[in-house]
Amino acid sequence: MSGAPTRRVVLALLRYSALVLVATLLLLPIYWLVVASFRPAADIFATSSSFGLATLLPERLTLEHWREAWSGELPHAVANSLFVALSTVALGVTVNSLAGFAFAVFEFPFKRLLFAIVLATFMMPFESIVIPLYVLIRGMGLTDTFAALILPEVASGLVVFLFRQFFAAVPKELYEAARVDGASWLQIWWKLTLPLSGPTIATASLMLFVHQWDAFFWPLVAAPGPERVVIQVAVARNVTLEVANWGGLFAAASTAILVALVPFLLLQRFYLRTVAAASER
Amino acid sequence: MKHGFREPWSVVAWFLAPALVGLALFRLAPIAIALFGGFTGTRLTGETVWVGLRNYERLVRDPAFWNSIEVTLLFNVIVNPLQILISLGLALLVLRPTRLVPFFRAAYMAPMTVSLSLTSILWAILLEPTMGPVNGLLRSLGLPPQPFWRSEDQALATLIAVASWKGVGYWMVFLLAGLLLVPKELHEAAMIDGAGPWQRFRWVTLPLMRRPLAFVLVADTAANFLLFAPVYLITQGGPNGATALLMFEAYQAAFTYLDKGRALAISSVILLVIGVLAVFELRLLRERGA
Repeated sequence: MSGAPTRRVVLALLRYSALVLVATLLLLPIYWLVVASFRPAADIFATSSSFGLATLLPERLTLEHWREAWSGELPHAVANSLFVALSTVALGVTVNSLAGFAFAVFEFPFKRLLFAIVLATFMMPFESIVIPLYVLIRGMGLTDTFAALILPEVASGLVVFLFRQFFAAVPKELYEAARVDGASWLQIWWKLTLPLSGPTIATASLMLFVHQWDAFFWPLVAAPGPERVVIQVAVARNVTLEVANWGGLFAAASTAILVALVPFLLLQRFYLRTVAAASER
Repeated sequence: MKHGFREPWSVVAWFLAPALVGLALFRLAPIAIALFGGFTGTRLTGETVWVGLRNYERLVRDPAFWNSIEVTLLFNVIVNPLQILISLGLALLVLRPTRLVPFFRAAYMAPMTVSLSLTSILWAILLEPTMGPVNGLLRSLGLPPQPFWRSEDQALATLIAVASWKGVGYWMVFLLAGLLLVPKELHEAAMIDGAGPWQRFRWVTLPLMRRPLAFVLVADTAANFLLFAPVYLITQGGPNGATALLMFEAYQAAFTYLDKGRALAISSVILLVIGVLAVFELRLLRERGA
């Protein structure tokens, strides 16, 4: 009779071993990098070329690499990236929620066709048009400007879609009542529906922010100069230019990772929920 | 949405215009530029001239182009099914909401926030043949150290593994969202009918996962088709062309050889593949949907 409970315990044990093993594979590399940025230069690779407890648990800690990284071009690149990412979030949430509202609430000619085009743009990854977009941006005389980094990423088919899915689920009577009260559609969008859509705004902001903070290919092409250098490009340049300074590279890379990772961990509940809700309808 | 509010265009346009103008200018116009520019060349004097099919004729006769097509296809044929299988496995693993599952869900999603360029840098260091901790681990286990990125035989496999390290958590979210929507009652009914776990997965879960699986299949393929950062930062297409993915070819044509016509011709080939994929995806999704 003890067969069934024993089997259940074994299964649970197997499941948790698998869970822990995968988590280790996915998190340990990030952990190693961040910890390495706090090790004295001599310890970084001395502890890793022969693997042991010291590879994972540092014996000595130092802030020297962080201080050094932050006294170089890193603050400039961080400020550029923050400006680009936050501007994209503000403009993107506004512009895409307006369009999502129209697709959810209004009836108009060519609606299906236009929505199909919006969906098609979100199935077309940004990288596929990087080179022709560069030709366009150069033609507009916008290379090495913030506009080149921000404007192409504001309108997003995926974010329009998320907002449409959310606004379509708001009961129609709510809109009718507001219209009867004499509210304009712009007021309804701003005062009625946006305050309701917190989780969608959080998810959209997260997507746009992480997308811009992590952007590498487009900034590399569109803003190659030192003035508008963004974080990912700045860190990557460290690899090719100053290979000897591993500690500084690790501190800069840790900064770049943590700025995207921490807000994500705080908001990931909304993220999963919004994706689930959007795929339901 | 059956009955929306009928408003005059002047009202609707205020809502639609900013996003649609942005998409038209920064997504659709570049497609036209690529398709048109693929038929043009640049004279030494700097003026752009119509050259007909010459860029494409040159591509077709260029072994480097065919090598990058071959590498890109080989890479995608392996990496996409592999990532989907792993993501589905992970989604099933974190499906049942036991106590520690929220932690694991978050942990599995963490690598997706690490940019591709940082992922490349991180794994270039971890897999460094002499100093890197992965070979350190292999040595301490008594196994021979491996060349990874430096070997013509291992570079593509390494690229597949590293792309998957970043990718699987991202795709897991979409599959998990799909799994969470499978009604519990169906599983209970199947269990009463005596179906085992595998049978329930095969006949209850899998048919209902068609849409999310189709979405992930095509979106994942599109993303991997355009992989650029690791090739640019670590291998530069090498060793000996082993990782020369198409996107890197297009970049080199544009910025190393300054051959705009060739770069836009390759971009057109890439866009064509992405377009075919999107049509294929819409088909798959429509068959069961609405």
